[in-house]
Amino acid sequence: MKKTAALSQQKQIAGELDRRVAQRTIELGDAHEELGKNIVERGLMEEKLRQEEQELKQSEARKAAILESALDCIVTIDHEGCITEFNPAAEHTFGYRRVDVMGRHLADIMIPPALREKHRQGFARYLATGEARVLGKRIEMTAVRADGSEFPVELAITRIPLDGPPSFTGYLRDITERKRAEQALRRSEAFLAEGQHLGQIGSYSWRVATDEITWSAELYRIYEIEIGVPVTLELIRSRVHPEDVTLIEKMKMVEQSREGGHNFEWQYRLRMPDHSIKYMHAVAHSTRDQDGQLEYIASVQDVTARRLAEEARDKARSELTHVARVMSLGTLTASIAHEVNQPLSGIVTNASTCLRMLAADPPNVEGARETARRTIRDGNRASEVITRLRALYGKKDPTIESVDLNEATREVIALSWNDLQRNRVIVQQELADGLPLIAGDRVQLQQVILNLIRNASDAMSTVDDRSRQLLVRTEADEDGHVRLSVKDAGVAFAPQSADRLFESFYTTKNDGVGIGLSVSRSIIENHHGRLWATLNDGPGATFSFCIPCGSELATDADDNRDLAPDVTDAA
Amino acid sequence: MLQVTPIVFVVDDDVSVRESLELLIRCQSWQPEIFASAQEFLKYPRVLVPNCLVLDVSLPGLNGLDLQRIVAGERTDMPIIFITGHGDVPMTVQAMKAGAVEFLTKPFNDDVLLTAIRAALERSRTALGLEAEMRVLRDCYASLSQRERQVMALVVSGLLNKQVGGELGISEITVKAHRGKVMQKMKANSLADLVKMAARLRPAPAAITAA
Repeated sequence: MKKTAALSQQKQIAGELDRRVAQRTIELGDAHEELGKNIVERGLMEEKLRQEEQELKQSEARKAAILESALDCIVTIDHEGCITEFNPAAEHTFGYRRVDVMGRHLADIMIPPALREKHRQGFARYLATGEARVLGKRIEMTAVRADGSEFPVELAITRIPLDGPPSFTGYLRDITERKRAEQALRRSEAFLAEGQHLGQIGSYSWRVATDEITWSAELYRIYEIEIGVPVTLELIRSRVHPEDVTLIEKMKMVEQSREGGHNFEWQYRLRMPDHSIKYMHAVAHSTRDQDGQLEYIASVQDVTARRLAEEARDKARSELTHVARVMSLGTLTASIAHEVNQPLSGIVTNASTCLRMLAADPPNVEGARETARRTIRDGNRASEVITRLRALYGKKDPTIESVDLNEATREVIALSWNDLQRNRVIVQQELADGLPLIAGDRVQLQQVILNLIRNASDAMSTVDDRSRQLLVRTEADEDGHVRLSVKDAGVAFAPQSADRLFESFYTTKNDGVGIGLSVSRSIIENHHGRLWATLNDGPGATFSFCIPCGSELATDADDNRDLAPDVTDAA
Repeated sequence: MLQVTPIVFVVDDDVSVRESLELLIRCQSWQPEIFASAQEFLKYPRVLVPNCLVLDVSLPGLNGLDLQRIVAGERTDMPIIFITGHGDVPMTVQAMKAGAVEFLTKPFNDDVLLTAIRAALERSRTALGLEAEMRVLRDCYASLSQRERQVMALVVSGLLNKQVGGELGISEITVKAHRGKVMQKMKANSLADLVKMAARLRPAPAAITAA
């Protein structure tokens, strides 16, 4: 029994053993297979690792290349603020070598002393609370170079996304040049604005296709419209004087014709809400913008003050003209008295002689008759003198007639003869034969001639070392002008004052007022002529004027200024 | 002396004045000579009859005051009466200082002018008489020899014949002979006469010696 039990147990054990061997064999087989798999996997892993390592290397190289060649400064710091990277651009900008700054605190290297404490606080706050004021934003601040000089930088800071203690990369750019350019631009703009303001010149652009109008600040001021209000043609129209509005339409017509490259210049008036009038002078130039669209660039000047001054000047000049006449009359009184006295003296003597002849025994009747005839002749002469004077000084509106300049000149010379002789002036006349007639106001022209002759005479009043020669010449030049020149041997004028001679109240005479030449020029210009002065080769000066043959006198239809130069209406 | 017709010169550039004066002067039986300018007048030869000049101040070219300067220097026998259309004080003063007889403003009273002309002609006549005497005197003096002039000069200065001889290194006899010649040639009646003549000749000794 016991043996059976032992056999059975033995058999059982053997069976168990076999089963376990079999199982183990299976297990080993599995394990072997697994092992094989593992070996393959491991190979793959190793391959992958190698690849990753390669990629990492490449990435590092790329990063190095980026750091190396980046135009911006790239600086990285660790969580304590110590520098862990400093690229060549940073070296160049800050003036440090990389090796010298690695591991040093950022604040000591790049931040101006005044800002260091603030930087430290911000950094500490971030580390403690995670609150960042500067991360991920473009900020501008001041940095400091190795040599201590400060300069503006633009920078962006990012946190490097890694586990563990934070580290940061900063990208910095030196913006000194940009700041300077910005400042220059601001200055230039301020300049332009101030210039426009001072000159009361506004400018605008007008894109015709879209009616997009841009005004300068000064133009807003001139139009008295609040700056920034959108400008429309309607708005402009509401300001432009109703009589000048048609101009806008005309301009639009031209715009619509779409022809480029035009220049316009025009004058117009504004009527302000308080009904005051402003005078504008505008110049516009058409161009094509980038899209080929027509665009007008215009500048508009407020010429109101100038216009008012011109009007005042014209008025003053016409008053001056009258004063000039009256004054000439005053200074010529002695000469006039003399003119009339000559024939009067002859009359008195003749009449006395006549009486003596008749009283003789026997009476000398034939002699008396002769003296009576001469008395009549002298009476007529006196009368002619009076007539001439009345023509010259009478207040008469300008009358256009055909004027023989020679005849007019002879009369003036005759009238000033004694004046000239008293001043020991030797008058030569070279009056051209067959001089064409000119249309003009004879009296006014004679005033000019008289003025030139008297000036010439005055210019020679102190000349004693040479003869006081005065040459009055008339001639017709080729281009249809009649010219008169008065040449003296006097003290002349300084070459640099040649332009000023014709200004009102400019005089080189001690007792002169300085209106003669300015009035003379007005008169000649009214005759479409020109009056000018030249210095002689020898002593003295020559004053000349020329007037086109057959010219019509410029007329002022709207007022009674008889001598003021014509001012065309700017409207 | 023969009764000669005085000449009245008129220089005025104004024809009315000129010709009316011409008639007035002729009416007085004087001979008028009229000119429109100083230059024209200066071309007229000098006259030896009583004459005067009626002169306008304002003239073309050479004016009246300039002409006065020339006339006063060369023609002492020609008094000047100024006429002017506008007499101003400085001009009048200048003319009168330079010896004008009268300064009249046009139109003038004919009586005033004629009175002035008469006075001027009288002055001219006197001047001419003096001048004629002077001319005779100068002619006489011119006829003296060099030695005679030396003797005359010393004699009229009050020296005795003997002293004159001593001065000139000649004998008293010779001095006497020269002295006689001088008295004869100078037509002097006495030493006092000769002294007077010498005094009259003195104002222009340079002209005399040059002659």
